[in-house]
Amino acid sequence: MSRVSETAMPVSSGFPGSGTGEARPGSVRLEGVVKRHGATTVLHGVDLAIEPGEFFVLLGPSGSGKTTTLRILAGLETVSAGRVLMDGADVTTLEPGERDVAMVFQSYALYPHMTVAQNIGFPLKMVGTPVAEIERAVADAAAKVEIGHLLQRTPGQLSGGQQQRCALARAIVRQPRLFLLDEPLSNLDAKLRLETRLGLHKLQRSLGATTVYVTHDQEEAMTLADRIAVFMDGRIVQVGTPREIFSTPQTVAVAGFIGTPPMNLLRGTLQGGAVTVSGSRLPVAGAPSSSPAAVIAGSAAREVTLGVRPGDLRIAPIGLPAKVERVEDLGDSSIVSFVAGEQLLKAKSDRAPTVREGEHVYLAFDPTAAHLFDPQSGARLGAGTPDSSKERHG
Amino acid sequence: MSPSTSRSSIRHIALYAIAGVGLAVWAFPVIWGLLTSFKTERDVLAYPPKFIFEPTLANYREVIFGASSIVPNLWSSFVVSTAATLLTMLFAVPAAYALARLRYPAKRASGFYVLATQMLPPVGLIIPYYLVLQKIGGLDTYGGLTAIYLTFSLPFAIWLMVSYFEDVPYEMEEAALLDRAGRLRALWHVILPQVRGGIAVTTIFVFLNAWNEFMFAVVLGGNRVRPVTVAMFNFISVEQTQWAKLAAGAMLAMAPVILIGIFAQRHIVKGLTVGAVKGGGRRG
Repeated sequence: MSRVSETAMPVSSGFPGSGTGEARPGSVRLEGVVKRHGATTVLHGVDLAIEPGEFFVLLGPSGSGKTTTLRILAGLETVSAGRVLMDGADVTTLEPGERDVAMVFQSYALYPHMTVAQNIGFPLKMVGTPVAEIERAVADAAAKVEIGHLLQRTPGQLSGGQQQRCALARAIVRQPRLFLLDEPLSNLDAKLRLETRLGLHKLQRSLGATTVYVTHDQEEAMTLADRIAVFMDGRIVQVGTPREIFSTPQTVAVAGFIGTPPMNLLRGTLQGGAVTVSGSRLPVAGAPSSSPAAVIAGSAAREVTLGVRPGDLRIAPIGLPAKVERVEDLGDSSIVSFVAGEQLLKAKSDRAPTVREGEHVYLAFDPTAAHLFDPQSGARLGAGTPDSSKERHG
Repeated sequence: MSPSTSRSSIRHIALYAIAGVGLAVWAFPVIWGLLTSFKTERDVLAYPPKFIFEPTLANYREVIFGASSIVPNLWSSFVVSTAATLLTMLFAVPAAYALARLRYPAKRASGFYVLATQMLPPVGLIIPYYLVLQKIGGLDTYGGLTAIYLTFSLPFAIWLMVSYFEDVPYEMEEAALLDRAGRLRALWHVILPQVRGGIAVTTIFVFLNAWNEFMFAVVLGGNRVRPVTVAMFNFISVEQTQWAKLAAGAMLAMAPVILIGIFAQRHIVKGLTVGAVKGGGRRG
């Protein structure tokens, strides 16, 4: 699996290289892709470069344009402007069947009148593959997803998980250059989703095929992806490794979307290395040179949005005064909700809760854990936290 | 017996009673016709009506082998209905698919046009049809009557088939396109097998409509092409109505309809309920 050297910024997602040449098998690029439905613009000029063999996740809330982007890659939607390139070749106007891509739909889209074997073998039958070869390939693909014993059943006789694997087998049987997966786990129950996620990751690694995966589930995205593109309102707002996205969100919207619970966002005033929130000065100074506070230290007072991850928030002898609103003991961790002034905050800890509902406490955080955003544009202020450049492994 | 069991039994009895009344209302003319077809003309006219009588096959012999045989008329009906049904389905299936699936200019307008043709009172069309067929020599011909049947069976079949095509999830067709089937092979291998029930139901309805049609047949047919519905009139004259022969003829004319109903019952019920249980497959 090749790694990518691309930085998370700028948010237009950038390309590892420039120009359309030197493309390796399995590479995918979107250049200025715009999609309009009548007067509504669904995608506002999406640029994207996906490396060969990469597990690339399109993450975003409903209606953000991620599924439209996937369907444009599949050729199921036309573009209003821009280009789609695969292996360096312009495929923008090619029909879905001419692109050599396979897709697993959210609904699986299995053919209900065919057996599992016929479903899996269908793409090969359509290109005139000899029957014996189809049988061999079907058996091979079915074995890879462990449904070899179900070949003579029809989709109606399969469980949700088995149907999902049948759809996967149909996608892998013809070894396409690109796999497209549209929320393939969303119809499974929580336990099965977890198991299937692991299996999917293993399968992708063993096949080494470029995979584009759409989900609105950030946990899925974080655990599966080599890189993630975060979609908001028809735009890619950030591209990066899961760790980059988590530790250095480039906009306040990404910060509020990623993480469970999401980042606490507080309105305050920044001056002299500290942010004043509800009358309390919270130091964001003393951070390494790349920290947001250091970058803008010494500047005049300005309004900011201060972001602190729930995991970075702790109870301290001094800090932001808050009242404990609710305590949720999850067994292996706890989530405590606070009210500070009129603002709601959440803290997450690996330990059992030590506070009671109604108790008054002070909240603090490591100054280096602070994220600062411009309240008007929502853009991140400063370069990011020290560990933001680290690659995620595994 | 618990109160809930008792309430449930009462509900069942009430439902069966309502169904029984409905069945009796529907079956009465059929049973009356069936009994009449086995009576002599004297028994038919007996008052009070005879429920116990000596059955005879004379009426059937007469309407099959006699001077007033309706066999040629059954053949006329069969030819016209079969031709109209085959041609209707040949055009209706692709047309309905296009209306349900493809994007093309004036799609809504053409869809409305199909529906609008169903709204015209048929009686208003008889004169123009008569004049057109007269001009082209199509009166009293199989071709002429079949063509006229197409004018109402085709919109009906398209309108019915569109809903079946719309019930097939888009993703399934898209999956077939990605599997390199192309649109025509996706239609053949993936879509059509899933609307089989709908095709069966529509075929049956179109055939039965054509088989039972009377008004166009009586005006646009003639001595050569005289469907069985028109031939029934031979048994009604100013002097008398030959009720027993009329009933025997009616029973013979009904036979194919009832046979189709019995053999295709499963298909008809499945086809009529497919949209109700499956739900749409439109993407979100």
